[in-house]
Amino acid sequence: MTYTDSTGRAYTVDASVGESVMAAAVKNGVPGIVAECGGNVSCATCHVYVGEDFAQRVGGPGDMEEDLLDMAVSERRDTSRLSCQIRVTEDLDGLTVEIPPEQP
Amino acid sequence: MLRKDINELLTQTGPGTPMGDLFRQYWMPAMLAEELPEDDCPPVRVKLLSERMVAFRDSQGRYGLMDEFCAHRGASLWFGRNEGSGLRCPYHGWKYDVTGQCIEVPSEADNSSFCENVKLTAYPLVKIGDVLWTYMGDPAKKPPLPEFEFAHVPAEQTYTSKRWQQCNWLQAFEGGIDSSHVTFLHSGGLKTDPLFKGAKGNEYNQNDTKPFFEVADTEGGLFVGARRNAEDGKYYWRITPWVMPNFTMVPPRGDHPVHGHFWVPIDDENCWAYSFDYHPVRALTDTERQAMVDGYGVHSKNIPGTYRPAANMDNDYLIDREAQKRGETYSGVAGIAMQDASLQESMGPVVDRTKERLVPADSGIIKARQKLRKAALALRDEGVTPPGVDPEHHKVRSAAIVLPQAESFLDACRDAVTVQPGVRQTTV
Repeated sequence: MTYTDSTGRAYTVDASVGESVMAAAVKNGVPGIVAECGGNVSCATCHVYVGEDFAQRVGGPGDMEEDLLDMAVSERRDTSRLSCQIRVTEDLDGLTVEIPPEQP
Repeated sequence: MLRKDINELLTQTGPGTPMGDLFRQYWMPAMLAEELPEDDCPPVRVKLLSERMVAFRDSQGRYGLMDEFCAHRGASLWFGRNEGSGLRCPYHGWKYDVTGQCIEVPSEADNSSFCENVKLTAYPLVKIGDVLWTYMGDPAKKPPLPEFEFAHVPAEQTYTSKRWQQCNWLQAFEGGIDSSHVTFLHSGGLKTDPLFKGAKGNEYNQNDTKPFFEVADTEGGLFVGARRNAEDGKYYWRITPWVMPNFTMVPPRGDHPVHGHFWVPIDDENCWAYSFDYHPVRALTDTERQAMVDGYGVHSKNIPGTYRPAANMDNDYLIDREAQKRGETYSGVAGIAMQDASLQESMGPVVDRTKERLVPADSGIIKARQKLRKAALALRDEGVTPPGVDPEHHKVRSAAIVLPQAESFLDACRDAVTVQPGVRQTTV
């Protein structure tokens, strides 16, 4: 999986199936994924933009996630997700996400 | 956290703001009936949603709530003479009836047609239970009167007080749907407060400090379920209803009366906390009523003749560090109401929510903010009547119940969280 920050710098990590995209970032020290609440859909500090190619496979946000994206995220896009709510699957091999310039 | 613009949207309720327009869709407590105890009694200043008004009860027992200032040269009608079915400005004698209509301009030659054209903005003021309710919105859209159970049970079963809280309504309200603070902040009160102590449920509260929250959407607002472990693999659920925009109820404890609040904006930096206690099927005992008057439970001890709590920000809420150390009170502030108010006011007049850090136990708060925001925008952009306006939405109850682990709290509690006149509350 590859995380790209707002300056274009890319971080590629090996993620395990079943963990979250947030957890894989935190474990590998990817900067910009803060994940204050530890993956509980409460803080919106693990916001990412999912790469266009993967957007459909990853799917849309759940209810609580929807609320947070609406109210807490500075620039919400169609591909906005909280990375703690994206489970890594075989299908997502090669996933790319973009890290917004700032987290709440 | 919230973005700055959303925090402003949710906290500003003056005329013309989206949230102000939302509040103006509802009947709202304007004052306690005891503030206008008899016909022709002194008028009372009332400020709601940043509008300054004066309330009076005329010679025929009619209630009026209108612009505080005389249409002539803007003097406050609070100084007025309440006489002969109207409120008369003491400056030049202009007189208004309860609808705000000017009915006399005695300083001028007979010119009744002039009077006819002078009318102050006025709102209906209606007594239901211990509360005088007003509706400050478009008269054409006035909904039917409120149906909250506490205001409709017989007088001997209910008691309402109010206190001035020196902070924005939203941070006060958010305390009303936040069950996880109870185990900490109110731990002393669960053991000693005459209106709280002795319930079996209190043990579950004390033994499990990490409740799990489940929030269920309802037509009029939310049910916030807080789940704690009970014995034998069962769960203790405390279910807090919120009816939009600002009515919350506390889950009951044992056979104590059930309590709840209305959080009414005075302006953007002050609100009224209306606090009620009622029992659905029996009269309050003399001891219970006295405890409420004395400021126990959700009530406060106020400075006599005012609705300002005796313990307030000017005296550091009379914090007692020794009591804090002994564990008698968790924060050192006495009384459940002032424990809440002291901390909510300590956040500042309007808390900066761009800096907060929410956790899973705050899911009720996250959901409620979203519902408020959506309703305010739907009203502004499409004129959609918001949830909670329909009096059917008012007929909810809080509940406390022990359930098998497999059961969903809402499925198991449909009846418990619905008002059934003459039926006891569901409580542990």
